[in-house]
Amino acid sequence: MTAAPAAPSAPAAAPTRSASLIDPQALMSIRSLELRARAVVHGLWNGLHRSPYHGFSVEFTEYRAYTAGDDLRHLDWRVFARSDRYFIKKYEDETNLRCHLLVDQSRSMDYGTRGFTKANYAATLAATLAYFLHLQGDAVGLLTFAEEVRDFLPARNRRSHLRQLMLALEKPAAGRATNLAAPMERITALVRKRGLVALVSDFLAPLDRLERDLSALAACGHEVVAFQVLDPAELNFGLEQPAMFEDVESGRTLYLDPAAARAGYVKKFEAHCAALRATCRKLGVGYHLVSADQPLEVALFEFLQERMRRGRQFRPGARGGAA
Amino acid sequence: MNFLTPLFLIGGLALAGPLIFHLIRRTTRERTVFSSLMFLLPTPPRLSKRSKLEHLLLLALRCLALALLALGFARPFLKNNPPLDPTAAPPKRTVILVDTSASMRRAGAWDAARERVDAVLRRAAPTDEVALYAFDRAATALVSFEEWGRAAPGGRAALVTGRLASAAPSWHGTHLGTALIAAAEALAESDGKRAPGPRQIILVSDLQAGSRLDALQAYEWPKGVALTVEAITARRSTNAGLQLVAEALDAPRTAETVVRVRVTNSADAQREQFQVGWARAETKDGFVGKPLDAYVPPGQSRIVALPVPKDAAGLDRIVLRGDDEDFDNTVYVVPPVPQKATVLWFGADAPEDARQPLFFVRRALASVPRFVVRVDALAPAAPLAPGAAREAAVVFVAEALPETTVAELRAAALAGKTIVFAPKTAAAVATLGAVLGGAAVGATEAKVANYAMFADIDFQHPLFAPFADPKFSDFTKIRFWKYRKLDAAQLPGARALAKFDNGDPALLEVPLGAGRVLVFAGGWQPEDSQLAVSSKFVPLMQSLLEIAAGAALAPAQAFVGDELPKPAGEGATLRGPLGAPVAMTAAVALAQPGIHELTVAVPASTTRFAVNLDPNESRTAPLGVDELERLGLPVMAPVDPKALPAAAVELLQAADAENRQKLWRWLLVAALGVLLIESIFAGWTARRQIVTTPETPSP
Repeated sequence: MTAAPAAPSAPAAAPTRSASLIDPQALMSIRSLELRARAVVHGLWNGLHRSPYHGFSVEFTEYRAYTAGDDLRHLDWRVFARSDRYFIKKYEDETNLRCHLLVDQSRSMDYGTRGFTKANYAATLAATLAYFLHLQGDAVGLLTFAEEVRDFLPARNRRSHLRQLMLALEKPAAGRATNLAAPMERITALVRKRGLVALVSDFLAPLDRLERDLSALAACGHEVVAFQVLDPAELNFGLEQPAMFEDVESGRTLYLDPAAARAGYVKKFEAHCAALRATCRKLGVGYHLVSADQPLEVALFEFLQERMRRGRQFRPGARGGAA
Repeated sequence: MNFLTPLFLIGGLALAGPLIFHLIRRTTRERTVFSSLMFLLPTPPRLSKRSKLEHLLLLALRCLALALLALGFARPFLKNNPPLDPTAAPPKRTVILVDTSASMRRAGAWDAARERVDAVLRRAAPTDEVALYAFDRAATALVSFEEWGRAAPGGRAALVTGRLASAAPSWHGTHLGTALIAAAEALAESDGKRAPGPRQIILVSDLQAGSRLDALQAYEWPKGVALTVEAITARRSTNAGLQLVAEALDAPRTAETVVRVRVTNSADAQREQFQVGWARAETKDGFVGKPLDAYVPPGQSRIVALPVPKDAAGLDRIVLRGDDEDFDNTVYVVPPVPQKATVLWFGADAPEDARQPLFFVRRALASVPRFVVRVDALAPAAPLAPGAAREAAVVFVAEALPETTVAELRAAALAGKTIVFAPKTAAAVATLGAVLGGAAVGATEAKVANYAMFADIDFQHPLFAPFADPKFSDFTKIRFWKYRKLDAAQLPGARALAKFDNGDPALLEVPLGAGRVLVFAGGWQPEDSQLAVSSKFVPLMQSLLEIAAGAALAPAQAFVGDELPKPAGEGATLRGPLGAPVAMTAAVALAQPGIHELTVAVPASTTRFAVNLDPNESRTAPLGVDELERLGLPVMAPVDPKALPAAAVELLQAADAENRQKLWRWLLVAALGVLLIESIFAGWTARRQIVTTPETPSP
């Protein structure tokens, strides 16, 4: 990361002025995914410039003793002046970030009560991340999945690649189930070089194997972050009329009176989310619950903010390859 | 209010249905998609509180419709009330058809039939119309619809009962099919004159297996005419009958001969052992001579050869003993008395010369059963005794005859006799012309190239009628070597009964006065043809004698119901088995079994003949009602109030009252009306709800 001004130790302060945030519903009315991503990222830039935390890019990490052959440009002359020893100053942004976006395109994502679906929201979120990273010169890859892996684009930092990525993200949701294991197994197999893996899904699937797969990813040295994208109606089961409810994925129908079923739903749902959150915490995976009515800038900002914080606490790898 | 089928009131419990459904929160049919149902469990239908009953008017309408339906199915009626529906139970039109055939003579059958008729009359409503028909061979109206209508309502039943009391079973057979058609026609005739109501025929009969139903085969039963069978059951089921086997009639009764009778036992008989023997009128229970035992299993028949006793004088019947029912246990037998007939033959033939025609005529006429034939052969020139020709049945002429003989023959022919010309030569044909009144008749010997044979035979003529059957009509094997070629135009009124294959006449019939002249162009002797040695010759000669002698006065064997034509003579009287002779002015239907005597004053003759019961009457096993149904008759189950318990009678009365009132129809109409209102109201309510319900967000 070379371009972004960094202020890693800054506490969380989202772009609070709501006037500067774009309403998701208005955002989704923009047809082009790339335009949507651009709008969000530019808004975020503006927010960041106004904030007291300026960037997080070139960052000192540690000193090490000079050895013959080291670039003299990185020699810290001040330390030499004080201690008469040669130390090389090491920065964590010495390497470009390789980020892989794992985007859920199962049928359950094809649901929404706000005029757009979770799939739209997740695609926009992924596109925003991709565009943001692209602007920073990072390589971005994409893997979409439902029951199986649908598309895989290796991480690159080219303009045309970004366009391909946008096209893959615009594909409609399909598939009868959400299989979280398949994409993670695939990414573990394909991507040997450590990088960032962002998993964007509603996680409305059994979590039996999730811990094992996430730990496999983490063991490969990847920094993993999970975005759980949910519709507001899923969060509180905010439906009113009794009806025959049909599962988008399986087609199974149930007669439900939301008034009667709400309590049980919320209880089970919260337990599910809590289990997911606990798993993520246990494995050091970043977890972000994103409601579809939440402006994308907020989600993105929270992600960046947490990343900076985590980057200070935990740096995997000797050379500091994870941004 | 009473109910015919009160159990249907249980259907009123269905009222709980709408109540429960109105208490249950309506299960929506709307479908809502949701991302995942993994956190959800199905919600059971929830009962609202009683106070939350919704759509009370709809509920009331639904309950009312169900209640009306339950009430309607329970068939309500008002006791002792006049029918509310003026169209309910229109007057019935009923024909009571009572069997008066001979089989109804069985013990108790007639009384039972009268009781059944009385029961039917008791069941008849005052507005009903009833006609009474009796039937055996034919149906006879005892009380017509008009008579019933004219009679005072209180006296109608008495009228029918009185007429029925005057009737009694006859000796006739059972022509059930004809009777049913007559009754149906009677109902059809009365149809249209007044408002049509239910029409029915009530058949009171023993419905024996011997009933003739063949008339119904080709009859299309009128729609709306129902048939109710009031079957009479005989007290005793064993009934055996006797029937003369026809061949026995033709055999002369001598000491060696036997009379063969068929003993038939009914299918439902209890006995199998019978005795058959001769009897006289004065014999009460015994037999004349030794009877024969006959073992006849039920439903089968056996032929018994009964030897004629030596003292056969006065024996006129064969009786059967050991049977429960005796109406058909006697068969009357009259031995046929052969008629004497004289045949004159004019020819020079030696009697025993097998090459001459006379030889064959003698032998052919010797075995005619009805006649004892005497053939008098006369030389052509021999003088003929005065009146001899008139007394002869047939006169054969083979040669030319002197004028005196010709005049006699002509007079006899004019008086009705038959003269047969079989000229041996062409010269003998001249006599034919003289007999025909001096017509110039000539003939030549035909020139037959090979042989000639009969062709173009008139089988309609009585002479050839016995050969009309294709089995016997083949005359092509009879070849003629010689014949006389006659010119039919020379014979006034001549008609060719047969022609040779070249078109020449072979046999001509020339009417002459009351008689006729038959002319054989070719002789039957072997010199002329093969006719005499063919199988056709004897029947032909017998047929010739039959038509020449005239028909018998009466048949040797007749059945009750047969019609006896008026005999040809004058002063004919018929004396039946019961009493005094009755003058016959027209054909008479034979009504009584027994020995009948037909006497004709001019010419004086007396013939005795036996009249027996229709053998089918002995088949008294009950006929299945399904047999009537198979013929397309709508048979209904009979109603016998006496046989029913009191509760059942009450039920019948209730059913009748309900049928007259038909309140269920009004209840059904009311239920349909309520359902219509409910549908309209429910539709309106649903539309109103849709309008007021805010739209749910779509996924």
